[in-house]
Amino acid sequence: MAQATTTESAHAKDAHHHGTKSYWVVWVILLACTGLTVFTGQHDLSHVFPSANITIALIIATIKASLVVWYFMHMREAAGTNRIVFVTSFVFLLVMIFGVFGDLWTRSPMTLPYHTPTTEGPEIEVPEGGAHHAPAHHSPSPEHHE
Amino acid sequence: MSSSDEHAHSARHPHLAEHFETIQQQDYAARLGMWLFLGTEVLLFAGLFLGYTVYRHFYHATWHACSQALSLSLGATNTVILISSSLTVALAYWAVKVGKRNLALGLLAFTILCAIAFLCIKYVEYSHKFHVGELPGKWFRAEELMQYPAANMYFTIYFLATGLHAFHVIVGMSVLLWVAKGIWKGRYTPDYFVPVELGALYWHLVDLVWIFLFPLLYLI
Amino acid sequence: MTQQSQPSADSPAVYPAVNYLNADRGVKSWLLTLDHKRIGIMYFASVLVMFLVGGIFAMAVRLELLTPGPTIMGANTYNRMFTLHGIVMIFLFMIPAIPGVFGNFCMPLMLGAKDVAFPRLNLLSLYLYWTGAILAISAIIFGGIDTGWTFYPPYSTTTPMTAFPALVGIFILGFSSIVTGLNFIVTIHTLRAPGMTWMRMQLFVWAIYATSIIQVLATPVIGLTVMLAGIEKVAGFGLFDSAKGGDPVLFQHFFWFYSHPAVYIMVLPSMGVVSDAIAAVARKNVFGYQMIAYSSLGIAFVGFFAWGHHMFVSGQSPFDNGAFAVISMFVGVFTAIKVFNWVGTLYRGAIAINAMFVYICGFLFFVVFGGMTGIAVATISLDIHWHDTYFVVAHFHFIMVGAVIMGFLIAIHYWFPKMFGRMYHEGWAMVSASFIVLGFIATFIPQFLVGNAGMPRRYYMYPERFQAMNVASTAGSSLLAFGFIIIAIYLIYALVRGEIAGDNPWKSMGVEWQTTSPPDKHNFAKPVVITKDPHSYQKPGEEVEHVVI
Repeated sequence: MAQATTTESAHAKDAHHHGTKSYWVVWVILLACTGLTVFTGQHDLSHVFPSANITIALIIATIKASLVVWYFMHMREAAGTNRIVFVTSFVFLLVMIFGVFGDLWTRSPMTLPYHTPTTEGPEIEVPEGGAHHAPAHHSPSPEHHE
Repeated sequence: MSSSDEHAHSARHPHLAEHFETIQQQDYAARLGMWLFLGTEVLLFAGLFLGYTVYRHFYHATWHACSQALSLSLGATNTVILISSSLTVALAYWAVKVGKRNLALGLLAFTILCAIAFLCIKYVEYSHKFHVGELPGKWFRAEELMQYPAANMYFTIYFLATGLHAFHVIVGMSVLLWVAKGIWKGRYTPDYFVPVELGALYWHLVDLVWIFLFPLLYLI
Repeated sequence: MTQQSQPSADSPAVYPAVNYLNADRGVKSWLLTLDHKRIGIMYFASVLVMFLVGGIFAMAVRLELLTPGPTIMGANTYNRMFTLHGIVMIFLFMIPAIPGVFGNFCMPLMLGAKDVAFPRLNLLSLYLYWTGAILAISAIIFGGIDTGWTFYPPYSTTTPMTAFPALVGIFILGFSSIVTGLNFIVTIHTLRAPGMTWMRMQLFVWAIYATSIIQVLATPVIGLTVMLAGIEKVAGFGLFDSAKGGDPVLFQHFFWFYSHPAVYIMVLPSMGVVSDAIAAVARKNVFGYQMIAYSSLGIAFVGFFAWGHHMFVSGQSPFDNGAFAVISMFVGVFTAIKVFNWVGTLYRGAIAINAMFVYICGFLFFVVFGGMTGIAVATISLDIHWHDTYFVVAHFHFIMVGAVIMGFLIAIHYWFPKMFGRMYHEGWAMVSASFIVLGFIATFIPQFLVGNAGMPRRYYMYPERFQAMNVASTAGSSLLAFGFIIIAIYLIYALVRGEIAGDNPWKSMGVEWQTTSPPDKHNFAKPVVITKDPHSYQKPGEEVEHVVI
């Protein structure tokens, strides 16, 4: 990767080539996305599909993040290795989350914290959502073969 | 093939270290090192995002209620501040590349001001929470939210995530100050500006983390 | 400086008068050095001290287990002994040892480079190591931790104990590890000599590369984990406390997400050492070079998806249990590839029967046996019975000691002449190698048997019927200790009065051997150009062609 070009010519080329317009455009888009996500965050969209709010929020956040990474962080011009490095870290973030979620989604409902019934104190409404299959059982039945 | 043979007429680049052959090789190494470091930062925050996801999964309603307790306007303002600071630091880097020293310094100063503003707003938010008792773990005593199971857990995640992020804001600010000093002293010029690039990359990472933290904490 | 030499009977071995050891003098020149070789030597001294400390704790544990009842200590002290044995051995020895010592010393030489990419970061990683070590060792002084090295909450976070300095220490050690890994990755990407393509790198470099990837990706997670555990302990945040709505199993997920890839940080470098040394010992090209190189990456990759196999009985869902079990078995595929290739390298080689070869044989046997028992414990139905028994202890010691420490010893014996220009006494080396291999077998095979019979780990008392095996294990560990003491003695002797080794006493084709022993401060006298594939030994009758111009 050692090129014989001098530093001056290479980077002068860069500067004239890119200028600052892309940064301003990206900034405006980022602000617009922020406004959009604040707007959608105010409204309960769970009638569209159950986890619509967080899905939309994360999609918008990913768009914003991608713009920052691609333009502001110059991944547009970055070497392939650098791109792979950064993307890989996000991949393993997802691995960690989904590996743990494999556990949470498939645990017996009785083992989940909020399903444990309390026998004293005020009646707390057990929230829904979370366990994607079995409904909330409160009786510790011996047939649970976990 | 050694650099001294190649450019026999010119001295080695003043910033070229002994163990590198060319400045391009050194710059490439510096960038790769920085991207690797940013990767480690992503994985450091990953654990907190995991904690957030897990406990939100467990306590869905609590999460919704507690995030209403946060000030959306302050959070959104902070987001705008960080996004703008990202713009100015990117512009500052461009300014160094084209030799506009004073513009670069001005832009960096603005960026650092944005960082300070961010921290001030965070201070306002934190002190409100201390006042009302919306605190992590055993310190939690906010009455309106006590009806929700494990409300303290929300604030544990909140303080851990925003606390770690704020720490990185402070570190990023120091890095930018150091970069600004280098520009002011004439060390970073159109001939050699990779450290400016690296400092800016770190600041962008700080912005990136907040881009994800903001909707997850304030908008759910 | 002398040319690449093939020491023959008539040309005497030369010890270069000026080399990296004496080029600059004074304590400051060492403490502020940017020379990767000196940093490697300082790591060497440090990890050996840590090994001694960890070994003392091990002996304490084994002495206590000589009798079914209390022998030399009570329960609380015993808990602290095995905890500190684990913490010191894992964080202060196993993880930093081969990368810190031989990665630092040999890897830039193997690339034909003048140093690592970021020499100052390298020095920083050493200082971080020392800082972390002092803090972690302070756990001994404050008489604290008795949770086992795994530090599970709620016990660890709710029981009063002075864990905070140790947690901070481990956090800092994590940074040392990350910095080293980052440095090595950039070095391998950018500082390879002209002519050295990726497929011309020595296999030790591939192993260090794979290790560094794991270090960079996994270590931040343990950093966060100890930080969270510390905050929970000190500030009562309750992240893993069920009374506050937390989930202790989540801690286990956090912890093992790092600690499982961590075991590959420990084992991959030692496999790299074996790949390099086995070619030199057998004087033969490595069989299946590409497969060994890729399998290092494969182990690194698959190792990230297997962490749940430490949590089979923790309350993790059966689905995740099954997934983790299956994925864990894939690691065996990559390890098996390596073993077959190593054996293929030995086959029809001109094997030198020396101490290194004894260790290699031990390594091969132990990695196969340890690896197979790994597959066994990855089988959920079997692990239900074996979890938290001595069976698991024996399995991981087979890999940690049988593979990693054997690899470390092979590295020491292989590169001692390179680092110090002197040769150790081969006869004593063979004696101690035999003690170590036999002592190892005597120590850990009984542990498999007694663990399968049901003896739990981390207990200072056990039923009478297990005593015979425990005594055998302790006797074996004494043999091991004895072997290590002999090694220390003859190596120290060799340092001072050993025979001059010459540039390349093993006549190895590694690039690091194509310079003086000890090397000059600047590594190579002339810029290195690589013209041949790595580990390329000549066939009988062929002219010796140098790897390096």
